[in-house]
Amino acid sequence: MTTRILSLALATTALAGAANAADLRMSWWGGDSRHEATQAALEVCGEKHGHTISPEFTGWSGHFEKVATQIAGGTEADIMQINWPWLPIFSKNGDGFADLRELSDTIDLSQWSDAQLEAGSVGGTLNGLLVSTTGRLFVFNTTTWEEAGLELPTTWDELIAAGPVFAETLGEEYYPMEAIGLDAALIVTLYGTQKTGKSLIDAETNQINWTVEEMTDAIEFYQSLVDNHVILPWRDQLASGVQALHENPKWTNGEIAGTYQWDSTYFKISDPLAEGEEIEYVGLLDLDGQQTPGIYRKASMVFSISANSDNQQAAAEVLNCLLNEPEGVAAMGSARGVPASKAALEQLQSEDAIAPEQADAQAKILEAEGPAIHPFMEHPDVRSAMQDNLEAFAYGQIDAATAADEMLYAIEEVLTDNFDS
Amino acid sequence: MGGDSKYLGLWYVSPYILGFAMFTAFPFITSFYLSFTDYDLLSAPEWVGLENYEKLFERDRTFKKSLSVTLTYVALTVPLKLTFALFIAVVLNYRLRGINVFRTAYYVPSILGGSVAIAVLWRYIFAEAGLVNMIITMLGGEPVNWFGDPGNALFTITLLRCWQFGSAMVIFLAALQSVDKSLYEAASIDGAGPWQIFRNITLPLITPVIFFNLIMQTVQAFQEFNGPYIITQGGPLKSTYLLPLYIYDEAFKSFDMGYASAIAWVLFLIIMVLTLLAFWSSKKWVYYAGDKRS
Repeated sequence: MTTRILSLALATTALAGAANAADLRMSWWGGDSRHEATQAALEVCGEKHGHTISPEFTGWSGHFEKVATQIAGGTEADIMQINWPWLPIFSKNGDGFADLRELSDTIDLSQWSDAQLEAGSVGGTLNGLLVSTTGRLFVFNTTTWEEAGLELPTTWDELIAAGPVFAETLGEEYYPMEAIGLDAALIVTLYGTQKTGKSLIDAETNQINWTVEEMTDAIEFYQSLVDNHVILPWRDQLASGVQALHENPKWTNGEIAGTYQWDSTYFKISDPLAEGEEIEYVGLLDLDGQQTPGIYRKASMVFSISANSDNQQAAAEVLNCLLNEPEGVAAMGSARGVPASKAALEQLQSEDAIAPEQADAQAKILEAEGPAIHPFMEHPDVRSAMQDNLEAFAYGQIDAATAADEMLYAIEEVLTDNFDS
Repeated sequence: MGGDSKYLGLWYVSPYILGFAMFTAFPFITSFYLSFTDYDLLSAPEWVGLENYEKLFERDRTFKKSLSVTLTYVALTVPLKLTFALFIAVVLNYRLRGINVFRTAYYVPSILGGSVAIAVLWRYIFAEAGLVNMIITMLGGEPVNWFGDPGNALFTITLLRCWQFGSAMVIFLAALQSVDKSLYEAASIDGAGPWQIFRNITLPLITPVIFFNLIMQTVQAFQEFNGPYIITQGGPLKSTYLLPLYIYDEAFKSFDMGYASAIAWVLFLIIMVLTLLAFWSSKKWVYYAGDKRS
């Protein structure tokens, strides 16, 4: 009889354990190093908390569409890596993702500052935990610049002066920088911000801050970079089709000797460089008489929990492990940039697990000043308004004033659709 | 036939019927309803009547551009591909040593054609320093900007589709082999040359297959997505922005599923009208064996 009772007790305990253990899914985008680190971290955290987590990972391209389709169908993963600007798109009123404050018994929210928690909130609801902060910086190929006999630039004037020197000393195929598509749009945004001291879209009022004349000026500045042999003409850079910078042979062999990139892309753009080619982040270029350095800084990504998940508590345990607990933090490393969580940052710093280049670029991002960036700067329709009109301008289809007018009109339309009641 | 076996046939085809109902008929009908709604995927569709169609025809410059690019693409691709496929089929219809190896080799691009890898390969072949420009330079010419020049980009994408001529070629080849040899012998005896034989005997007898290939290739060309999406992403200046790309962008980037459905239905209607036109015209140029009209 005693044996029977013991067996029953053991079976009940075992069953109770199984009920706690959850089958979870986690989705993210990234490169190989991030995929490997995250899978290792999921294994460690799953083991620690008794859950099984299926990884779902892709490259950047198409991930937005995949998440959108999953959320629409209610089949999204329990834990998701979400790009910061997507938060208001997927969660207009803050109810698109789980409210993480309701899970604060499990997730240690004290590891983030109030401002960081605010960045992951929509309408006061905490929808995502900041994983890291990122921003755009100028990065130059030091090898090519040395060959041209020039110091790396710190001002726009120095960069513009370098264009003709590159052509004369190294050849017409060498350029100090590149900028088409999104990079071109962000160069225009940077110049306009520096000149006016205002962000293009006001983060507080959801209104456009620039006049048509100010936008026209910024577009004409872009053209001056083309005219001075600083950046390749749009048409020439598309000669091999649309390809990412790190896949472009002109970048890997040093013919394109500079770019304006996220600090978190350091390894992605430095790894494919030919032997002997080195790059260095220099921060932001100063504009004569600028109102602000104009840093384009934002939360790079957040981790969110699905509002439809049946296992939010279990997902919260895994989330906390990945972001705050030593086992998860060690396995994740700096695969998503310098971590925002204080605990993770301290741990990685004490273990020398953050590459000096990454730490240096991050310091430049955090030190620089600039007006707050509106999440809708990365709304697909805002981006396409800027890039399509810049392209039409670059191909000589429209003049700068028309491009500026069309851009602002299209952006205004997006803002009206989304923010005006 | 007993009561049980009466429905046996239906049981056999039920997997197909179920699949068709779920994955074709249901989305088809739903998309028609959605085309009259404002639907952002994340909240319930809101009925807007004809608003999407009004916007499409009255205010949307991108749609007009995309439609024009799509029609140009189809007008270029279909005749080029059919002509090339028929030409190769005629060559491969000769009894040559190792002919089966050639037939297989020419069919291979069709198997690989729709893949992402081939689109990437195409990008490298026509890149600034790619194979095509290397050959042009070796022959003393100037390198061509295949993808950066709006005038060339669509043509380059068209060539990718034409390169996948294998399936049309195999169908042409089967048709050529089914032509009665005695007709050729009779024509030869009457003194007809190879071109006269091809024009007056071969071509009329394979018109049903030409008609079939014409319809299939037209429908496929209207649905092209992979090539321009991977190589040019619709650019430069939307010169390769085919309607399927526009539908995709509206649906999954702008979250305007209702508007995307409206574009999809306009595309469907265009394909249907062209197909009906082809069927109507076929009475005048397609010859069926046993047909008493001739």
